[in-house]
Amino acid sequence: MNNMKRAIGLFCLLVFMFLSCEKDDFCTQNPVTPNLILRFYDDTNRESLKVVDNLYVWAEGKDSLFINASLDSLFIPLNSAATETVYNFSKNNIVNQFTIQYTTENEYVSRSCGFKVIFNDVNFVSNNTWITDFEPSTLNIEKQTEAHVQIYH
Amino acid sequence: MYRFIISLFLLFVFGNGFAQETEMQKKELEQDSIIYKTTYGLRLGIDISKPIKVIFDDSYNSGLEIVADYRISKRFFIATELGFEEQTSNEYYSNSSAKGNYIRLGFNYNAYENWLDMNNEIFVGYRYGFSMFEQTLNSFVPNISNIYFPANTITPKTITNLNAHWSELMVGLKVETLKNIFIGFSVSYKVLMSAKEPYNFKTLFAPGFNRIFESRTGFGFNYTISYTIPFAKK
Repeated sequence: MNNMKRAIGLFCLLVFMFLSCEKDDFCTQNPVTPNLILRFYDDTNRESLKVVDNLYVWAEGKDSLFINASLDSLFIPLNSAATETVYNFSKNNIVNQFTIQYTTENEYVSRSCGFKVIFNDVNFVSNNTWITDFEPSTLNIEKQTEAHVQIYH
Repeated sequence: MYRFIISLFLLFVFGNGFAQETEMQKKELEQDSIIYKTTYGLRLGIDISKPIKVIFDDSYNSGLEIVADYRISKRFFIATELGFEEQTSNEYYSNSSAKGNYIRLGFNYNAYENWLDMNNEIFVGYRYGFSMFEQTLNSFVPNISNIYFPANTITPKTITNLNAHWSELMVGLKVETLKNIFIGFSVSYKVLMSAKEPYNFKTLFAPGFNRIFESRTGFGFNYTISYTIPFAKK
């Protein structure tokens, strides 16, 4: 029966090893839901990027995301609980309202990452104060590897 | 994964250990002229680990498993398990539960050389498993990785008529504690062969299979008490 005891011991060991295998997957995708990417270009020379100085960014009724920043590209989140997000871009105290309209769709990614939000039928509206023109480069925001809209100023 | 590989090595160590022993016992048996008869019959039992798991594991809602095997030769047993399970998978971004029935069918090979008329087993086995179940996505929050705009929690959705097929390898032991009453223990490694997945979601748990890992594998164990209805002594 000594062998039996040894076998039982080994089995207990095995079981504990198997049981300790919980939660082995972690979400490595970051971010899962894409942000909106805007890039700022020169209005006269439309090929070259142009930095926006003294830039303040906030969504309507929210705190500022960027304060006195100097950037040529912007990563901003969209509101997945609504069908439009209204942003204010302020340069040298001139506010330009920029509205993004879309429909949302939830897409399953994985156990650890959950669901991501895809923004479809994207439409941009600007009241063009300091922004002179813009050009969307996509209709759907599914990933954030390249700019979704080019802004000229 | 490494853990699993290491534990596989342990299995081999253990196999070697008693292979030597059987040789020793054979020699003893050769000197002995009396033939000891053992019982053949249908062995029925239940997995008592599942009701215990229901009490201690909040995410394990209910479970019952009936086990049976039938001895066909000195070392081979046809074996089956029938059961019902309901489990909730509570993940960071989703909460879903699966419930349904399953059957596993296969055989066990007893590798243990018994002394005299003892009737213990150290076995390896193969099972084909099949389960039919439904999965409810209780709630989920889209993974938006920012707190600037909070996300909406989405409401339940049930998907029925899901199924899964798998293969499993198991090792275990059974000890005759009282006449014809056995206490058994086994662990199994499962590989999913196919699964009907819900649209825009995934089967995270299949009854009888347990949690489905990203690699489409899983682990299981059971602890059984069973009784042999004796048919013959050979």
